[in-house]
Amino acid sequence: MSYLNSLRLHFFGQFQAAVSTVNNDPLHFNNAKFDPAYQKMETATHANGWWNPRGDANWRMIGCNITSAWLSDGQPAAVSDPVLTYLIADSDRSVAAKLVDLDPAQQGVSEIWGMEVRIADASGNTLMRAKYETAGFMDIFLRWPGGSGDGSAGAMYQSVLTDIKWGQIDKSRFLQQLQQASSEGLLSIKFNVDAFDANYLSPTFTLGRVAGTIGPATAAEPQHFVIGRHFMMTGLPSQGFFIPAGNVNFCEAVVDGKAGKIYLDLGNSLPTQSFGGPFTNIGALSIACATVDASGDTHMLPLGEVDYDYLAPKWYEKTAGVVALPHDRALTADELNTVAANPLVIRLGPVQPWQEPSAVWESPNGLYVRADKFVFRLNPGEDAEIHLYGSQYGQPYAGARVICYLDASGIGGGPPVGVPEDVLEFPRSVVLNEFGQAKVQVSARNPGNPRGYIDGQVYGIRCVLEDTLAPAVQYPFNPSEFVSLLVWDEFTADPPVWWGCLQPVFQQYANLYPLMQRFVDLSSYDSVTNPDNVVPLTITFGLDANDPNAMPVTRDLSGGKRSAILQWLATPGPDGKPLLGTPPVPPPAALEAVAAPAPAPFDPKSLGKVAFYKRVKAARQMRRKQ
Amino acid sequence: MILLSKQLIDDLDKPGGLQRALQKAIELEHATLPTYLYSLYSLSDDNAEIAGLVLEVIMEEMLHFAVACNTLNAVGGSPDIDKPGFIPSYPGHLPGGVDSSLCVHLRRFSLEHVHNTFMSIEEPEDPLHFPVAMAAVDHVTIGEYYTRIENKIAELGEGIFTGDPALQVLGGFSPDELFPITGVTSAKKGIELIRQQGEGTTTSPVDPEKELAHYYKFAEIWHGRHLVAVPNPPPGTPDDQKYRYDGPVIPFDPAKVLPVVDDPKASKYPATSQAHFLNDNFNYAYTSLLKALHLTFNGQPNRLDSAIAIMHSMRELAMEMMNVPFENCENAGPSFEYQPVNK
Repeated sequence: MSYLNSLRLHFFGQFQAAVSTVNNDPLHFNNAKFDPAYQKMETATHANGWWNPRGDANWRMIGCNITSAWLSDGQPAAVSDPVLTYLIADSDRSVAAKLVDLDPAQQGVSEIWGMEVRIADASGNTLMRAKYETAGFMDIFLRWPGGSGDGSAGAMYQSVLTDIKWGQIDKSRFLQQLQQASSEGLLSIKFNVDAFDANYLSPTFTLGRVAGTIGPATAAEPQHFVIGRHFMMTGLPSQGFFIPAGNVNFCEAVVDGKAGKIYLDLGNSLPTQSFGGPFTNIGALSIACATVDASGDTHMLPLGEVDYDYLAPKWYEKTAGVVALPHDRALTADELNTVAANPLVIRLGPVQPWQEPSAVWESPNGLYVRADKFVFRLNPGEDAEIHLYGSQYGQPYAGARVICYLDASGIGGGPPVGVPEDVLEFPRSVVLNEFGQAKVQVSARNPGNPRGYIDGQVYGIRCVLEDTLAPAVQYPFNPSEFVSLLVWDEFTADPPVWWGCLQPVFQQYANLYPLMQRFVDLSSYDSVTNPDNVVPLTITFGLDANDPNAMPVTRDLSGGKRSAILQWLATPGPDGKPLLGTPPVPPPAALEAVAAPAPAPFDPKSLGKVAFYKRVKAARQMRRKQ
Repeated sequence: MILLSKQLIDDLDKPGGLQRALQKAIELEHATLPTYLYSLYSLSDDNAEIAGLVLEVIMEEMLHFAVACNTLNAVGGSPDIDKPGFIPSYPGHLPGGVDSSLCVHLRRFSLEHVHNTFMSIEEPEDPLHFPVAMAAVDHVTIGEYYTRIENKIAELGEGIFTGDPALQVLGGFSPDELFPITGVTSAKKGIELIRQQGEGTTTSPVDPEKELAHYYKFAEIWHGRHLVAVPNPPPGTPDDQKYRYDGPVIPFDPAKVLPVVDDPKASKYPATSQAHFLNDNFNYAYTSLLKALHLTFNGQPNRLDSAIAIMHSMRELAMEMMNVPFENCENAGPSFEYQPVNK
């Protein structure tokens, strides 16, 4: 079970992502060359600190109305069910959740930390409250092909809700069913984000569009993707976001044999005509199953039609892109048998009479493997456990071999990434167990500061089914589907002092997060060690990363540095203050005098996630040349 | 000077009167925060010293709020913080205030606002340098109100301290200032602290921690100079000549105050405007603060840090909003209204 289920609700509204942008440029991490202009807003001619240097990383769900709900028998919730008047809201008793990149060289899996998800009525009464398990986005693509900049992208988040507390739900039959279905203490949530407004002159600056689904979940299933039928795409040449060749981005379906339905999620797959606008007409859309007869001819078994519904007003708002097919009947036993062993196809009728119909296919031979959690932060000596799930036509692909290898093709920017390679130790292949699952243990050792002014190193590990590797299979691998790991440098200090030890760490945060200046000047020993600041710094640096109030907001501080900071704050010297140490030679003033590079003219729409993907592609081309 | 209705005092002698009085005290301590915060937010970084002084007062108001909550919990009551009516409507009177009492506004920072509103709110019953403002017959001052509460506690004695000690909130402030209220002695100590930090003593502008009372902190801002003790005053020097406003200058640049609108209301911001969105976001955070405080003082004391974090985040949200033009050459400002969902 997952959100892709008969029992589900859909919501639609806005999100806020007030990210800080100074840390989006890897060069800004270099304390020695930091220019104060990097803390200023971009101008028509200077990139400065990009489009939101004073961002607080806040993530908010705003005005997310529940737009439809479906009961476990596939029927819509009664019009009188109050759930249809409720909202999906975030925490009403803590600071906003935080949206955070893994690293300047991996901005393609930004995670939401510390989010509470609520179902609330219009008066704010909470019907359900739960914790969102931290997860990054996946499947970013060029949602609005006519656009540019981050506003042209679409992506999706999928995770689970834990620690669920239910309120007074006796008036909602739907919520009662959802509560019963969450007996393992989990719900599944997936939401699509697009139309993000990064124009600081706009009234909707930092806002974007969100449409999502909440349904049941079980502990036996992955938390961040659906075990089901995966439609795989090849990409068109692109310098920025992924452009699916067949107009439809990666998506998935679940076949519910009991209900005789296929649940297809097109939420993060259809192109839009404009910024946050209606979907582009890509033809009458239907789903079929492809069979090959004895003579080698392919036949399409029609299984349900979306037709042009996706162009109808409010369709996306009410469905979040999820459809249950066929609409008007259940699949027969014969159809289900056929579907169980043959690929599904999303068919697109011709937009114009003279055009040929097209189709988007399920993965070759129905094969699919994916890591569940796909973002890891590791200290030297720590392990990551990559949990793989492999399937064929939605069933466990037991006994299959999965090949695991380092792959830095999806990361980059700034100093070279993915080296040295021997920092990560992991098996190069694993075999899926009877449930189609395997665990890959990844051990990290000290990278040895290969990037200089950026802590640690970023790696990518890709895990693919051996059976999909043969060239003849022509398996269209999803560029987003790899595991990202940040391994921090070892850091020891005995005892930790300010100069030459913690000052560079604090200075970098002061540089990259100008917002902090109002609370504490992290570049100043006197400010950091002011008794009024020592207590809150001790508390916030000691918080679990899942607490929305944890410092640093960016969740990029190594365990070694964190321990040193906490030890330093807690162990004052004879003067009653944390140890100052000896100023380095040359003094910091000389370092600050290093001239900043002359800013080059730029296009404001070139900054943001799109800049990250351009840098990744440039780094990849550079590696190829070498 | 703020004058409260005498009915509040009369009510003290009725059943449950002490609990109601402490709840009113909690509401009163909170009610000054939006007006102080609104002015604080409007001070840009160029008026940092004044902002620091205002912030010190705000933090002590939070402390007084906590002491009042602890006292109410100690006598078996439950602070009721998470409700729309907890927030006064601005402009308006403070909770329990009489009609003739001061009308409190949300206004950008100005010296006049400090003098006319902040100093009035904090004005002691018998301020040094000044005659008593008026003889109160049907009214009581805030200081008097606390004295009556203190007397009532002494009268009722140790037997009323039936509250669960686990409800006492102790984090976030110095243990000298925020301590468990467990009986008459600690309750009196807490109330004394509120009175002295707010008003000073009858003989000195500083409280026992040698911090200036709120009234004199605001007076420093109004006079533009720090209040300093006269060195070596001869014996017999009157109390009101032991200090002078001739310390270091407190700089104020009126041009660096954000030109925000007076007494904003959510309903005045057009539905699709940036001001509307930012106001909603702020009010949601502010309501979250009240909810976090409600939980903190109703059995979840560990949430205090979370509440303090929300209060810090509100400043950034407000200052972002205060840079957004609204109308008549004025900028938008947060309306401090109860908003439990971010619609």
